[in-house]
Amino acid sequence: MPTVLTLHTTGMAVLVGASWVLDLRLLGINKNVPLSNYRWVFHAVAIGLLVNLITGVLLFMKNATGWGTAFPFLVKMLFVVASAATILPIRKYVLNSGAGRDEVTSNVRLLAIASIVAWSAAVTAGRLLAYLVA
Amino acid sequence: MDSVFVLNAAHLHLVLNHVPTLGTAVALALLLLALIRRQETLVHVGLEVLFVIAIVTMPVYVTGAAAYAHLRNGADFSDIAARIHQDAALTGFAVTEFAGFVAWVALWQSRRIGHAGRGLVAAATVLSLIALAIMGRAATLGGEIHHLEIRAAAAAAPVSNTDGGEGTDVTDQFVAARISRYMVNSTWAWPAAETIHFLGLSLSIGMLLAINLRLLGVMPQVAFADMHRLLPWAMLGFGANLITGMLFFVGQPNQYVDSAPFHWKVVFLLIAGANFLYLTVFKKAWDTDGSDARFADKVMAVSSIAAWLIVLVAGRMLPFLGNAF
Repeated sequence: MPTVLTLHTTGMAVLVGASWVLDLRLLGINKNVPLSNYRWVFHAVAIGLLVNLITGVLLFMKNATGWGTAFPFLVKMLFVVASAATILPIRKYVLNSGAGRDEVTSNVRLLAIASIVAWSAAVTAGRLLAYLVA
Repeated sequence: MDSVFVLNAAHLHLVLNHVPTLGTAVALALLLLALIRRQETLVHVGLEVLFVIAIVTMPVYVTGAAAYAHLRNGADFSDIAARIHQDAALTGFAVTEFAGFVAWVALWQSRRIGHAGRGLVAAATVLSLIALAIMGRAATLGGEIHHLEIRAAAAAAPVSNTDGGEGTDVTDQFVAARISRYMVNSTWAWPAAETIHFLGLSLSIGMLLAINLRLLGVMPQVAFADMHRLLPWAMLGFGANLITGMLFFVGQPNQYVDSAPFHWKVVFLLIAGANFLYLTVFKKAWDTDGSDARFADKVMAVSSIAAWLIVLVAGRMLPFLGNAF
């Protein structure tokens, strides 16, 4: 179980960290770098999500009834789903962008902010589960 | 004790404890010399030394706490003298880390615009002087713990068992003890610090992943200079984690001082810190513009990712392989 938990944390770091790299780019950090260079982010996010889905299910199975009925856990799941949901439109936007300098639309900037906030909330909720759900 | 330390903690502390004082003295001398000779290269070397000293000061503090945990119940050991030394060392540690941070900002800036800002260099110089003064005092107080012949100051220190009221004890006057009590007794302090620690690690690892992947050939069209701009974000995450990490360590030192994964974590933090300096200042990586990085830079990139992941894994394993929670 310690190994599973450690993998879950490593997956989180890659998944959330890579998402934030792209979100910061969308918000204007390094805006001279064409968006097409950030396609690797989706590979990193996919790997992180896959690892954390598998390890998350394993962690859930250890105490399915406990987790399934714990309100804080459901809140965390909500944040995870919301965070992951922001990736899809961002991915579509980035993959469709040309090789030139792209002006990011305000809608995409809002998505980037939503992504940063939702991932922070998911990490916070996940970490606090250790203290809220015995 | 299953440990990566070949020497016991107390002995290791005796070896390492000269680094903060002598190191900041060398950094200060270099910065002052640079001021007189007006040489930018000397400024850089002084700032780099200061940054390295700030990193190495981490194991100095950690081994000091370990030595205290092992020696405190021994005969002829002055608990009060040790606590006075610890408080001075904690203050010195904080100032040294801040000096190292300012030095790093100056180095990052000089990599981008060719020279370090005068204000930053002045701040780093003043901070290294303050760090030297506080660490010098801490070192003297540390010597007094076991060198009875110079213990006069500790004996004369204004510490008494009688001035505490109901529910207080003698340790209340020590900062480290107060931080520890707060971290342990507060309902939310530990969980809140853990949460910040996890957000910080995600930020640092994400940014360093991006920077190192560039060196490894992902995003070959992107200039390294653009990736270099992400370093302050990685530093932000690391700073948050150094502060919250120290709150854990000062809060419950006995959970960590004998923990093998914690020892590995500190060792790999040193390697990760060296990598961070390399990414910040070295010219070869910087010149990688729209082309493939050199082999040495790729080795550095792999070791950087590996070091940070080991720091993460060792940290996450603390509750299971050691006795921390």
